[in-house]
Amino acid sequence: MSGLFKKLAPPANWKIPVILVSGILAGLFLYVAHISRVASYLSDDPSTCMNCHIMAPQYATWSHSAHREKTNCNDCHVPHNNVVNKYYFKAKDGMRHATIFTLRREPQVIFIKEEGKRVVQENCIRCHSDLLTDEKVLNYTVVYQHERTERPCWECHRETPHGRVNSLSSVPYARVPVPESTVPSWLKRNREKITKEKP
Amino acid sequence: MNSFSNQIKQKPWLGWLLFLATLVVVFIIGLLASSIMERRSEAAYVFTPQVQYDQFEPRNEIWGKNFPMEFQSYKKTSDTLFRSKYNGSAMIDMLEVDPRLVVLWAGYGFSKDYYQGRGHSYAIEDIRNTLRTGAPMEGGKSPMPNTCWSCKSPDVPRLMNEMGAAGFYRGTWETRGTEVVNSIGCGDCHDAATMELQISRPALKEAFERIGKNITNASHQEMRSLVCAQCHVEYYFSKNVVEDVPYLTFPWDNGFSVEAMEDYYDEIAFADWTHKLSRAPMLKAQHPGYETYMTGVHASRGVSCADCHMPFMSEGGQKYTDHHIQSPLNNVANSCQVCHREETDQLIKDVYERQDRIIENRDKLEELLVRCHVEAKLAWDLGAAEEQMTAILQDIRHAQWRWDYAASSHGGSFHSPVEISRVIGTGINIAQEGRIRLSRLLYSLGHTGEVPYPNISSKAEAQAFIGMDAATLRAEKELFLQTVIPDWDRQAAEREANYTVKSLFE
Repeated sequence: MSGLFKKLAPPANWKIPVILVSGILAGLFLYVAHISRVASYLSDDPSTCMNCHIMAPQYATWSHSAHREKTNCNDCHVPHNNVVNKYYFKAKDGMRHATIFTLRREPQVIFIKEEGKRVVQENCIRCHSDLLTDEKVLNYTVVYQHERTERPCWECHRETPHGRVNSLSSVPYARVPVPESTVPSWLKRNREKITKEKP
Repeated sequence: MNSFSNQIKQKPWLGWLLFLATLVVVFIIGLLASSIMERRSEAAYVFTPQVQYDQFEPRNEIWGKNFPMEFQSYKKTSDTLFRSKYNGSAMIDMLEVDPRLVVLWAGYGFSKDYYQGRGHSYAIEDIRNTLRTGAPMEGGKSPMPNTCWSCKSPDVPRLMNEMGAAGFYRGTWETRGTEVVNSIGCGDCHDAATMELQISRPALKEAFERIGKNITNASHQEMRSLVCAQCHVEYYFSKNVVEDVPYLTFPWDNGFSVEAMEDYYDEIAFADWTHKLSRAPMLKAQHPGYETYMTGVHASRGVSCADCHMPFMSEGGQKYTDHHIQSPLNNVANSCQVCHREETDQLIKDVYERQDRIIENRDKLEELLVRCHVEAKLAWDLGAAEEQMTAILQDIRHAQWRWDYAASSHGGSFHSPVEISRVIGTGINIAQEGRIRLSRLLYSLGHTGEVPYPNISSKAEAQAFIGMDAATLRAEKELFLQTVIPDWDRQAAEREANYTVKSLFE
């Protein structure tokens, strides 16, 4: 191990430039992590999804629905069969969203993808499984279980929980937790002095 | 340097200190960069007017300096590439598509030419190009009055402000040719000070007043349809408001329905023209788009014209209205799918299905009307008396009015398929009633057997059938466009060069 470390170590007279370059790269990495709120992606906090402002309608409609009392975005939109799958799906979905948002390729009206639909359906059942196993109903409606597993729940429960008006512009005045400024307050206070920008 | 290098060799923590210090400095520089970018973007996010102008600034590009996103999307109304199954933004020669129209409008301007309208930005070009406005050269007069300019330009409210509505309508079309030059745009719907929607045309306000409504009480959502209803409505030129002035009037006093407006016209014995073949006192329905829309399910759910024809957009977190006013069939993703989660193809199919079914009966009614006119002409030729023809001509008038109310409502077969079907159904019934009367009359005049259906399979044949010399009209128009129009444009440019626009950055 120490042999490998020695091989990678720069010659003695390069030591200082290498330290400086590593410092710059590490600093930039931490800075990008800071402004993109990287740590928030590990959490289940719904405000994480607001890192991209185009999710405002989804946040606003959820926060006015009954589901806000019991669920966050991840409860429905990432799988919960095991923790590896959860973070794998989340990373995959998240990277796609981040890419599209960065490239400004988002459509005005967003549709959920096939894979996402399956996950949501599984999660509906995960919490509402009682509705599928009620012996009383199962006894006199033969197709009961079939109807409730073969068809997506939202084919009937259309407004649950995001409402029926689907557009980036559907809730223009909603108060949603869009990311706050990344600039620390001490810097804001002194900004005028430091940058010497015209007001 | 070397000595520092040696020091690090002796005390490795010095190396780590250098690493951390660099990291912290870069991080803070990054924050500083963030702060600068944030301040810079603030400037871009707030409304930054470039110029100051008043309500009667007719040039859309001047307003557009302050509202670039809206203006850029408005410019897209010059796109003519989209053709839906029956309409779209392309210029379609409707008389060629459907030569029966020539016979139905014999003796009236629309039999000369009638094209499917293009986007708003062609309003001026197209009214200059149409044969209906004639070729007024060297002191000659247009067959149309200045009232025809009413819906074409933000120059219209400017002129009405100077000379009053009646003053504007007075005179023949060519007399305002140098004044009305900017196509439909900003000032037609917006208040310059607040950018709120506003009604710029008196006809709509006056129609509301006559039915006891105050248009200033309309909600914002209602205004998102009412600004369209300034023009996309049925209207006529009344001779009874101001003497010698064809005064733009909406026939809404009894209601919006085909029967209510028919009663209105019958009460005042109004006719747009006398039919060249049948001599019936005809009504030309213009485009009751708003009236028919109001009977449909979208209207009853509170959807406005703008919701589908000018859907909201969000770009960079900024919401604005797409001013590319167009068929939603060319923009299903941003219009229909906001509420309807079906596939685009399915939604378009739903629209075409309604249109196909309605056009089937509309075409039938057209054929019956052609027969009515031809049979009535034969009755006159065989010596029918006025009183024998009265009821027949009234049937022709009513049946064709119903056909035109349905046909000219354009989106009507989607906006309100049930009502449009009903209107066409009543039209077919009245046309056939008229033809029963006609066959009795023809029999009494000694004619038995079928009156032959004219050979009108093309526009040229149909125009020849009604005795129109379209070639001469076109040649005159061509000369007019080459000689008069450049002069109009030059005079307008000279006038507009004197307009003052205050820049806010000088």
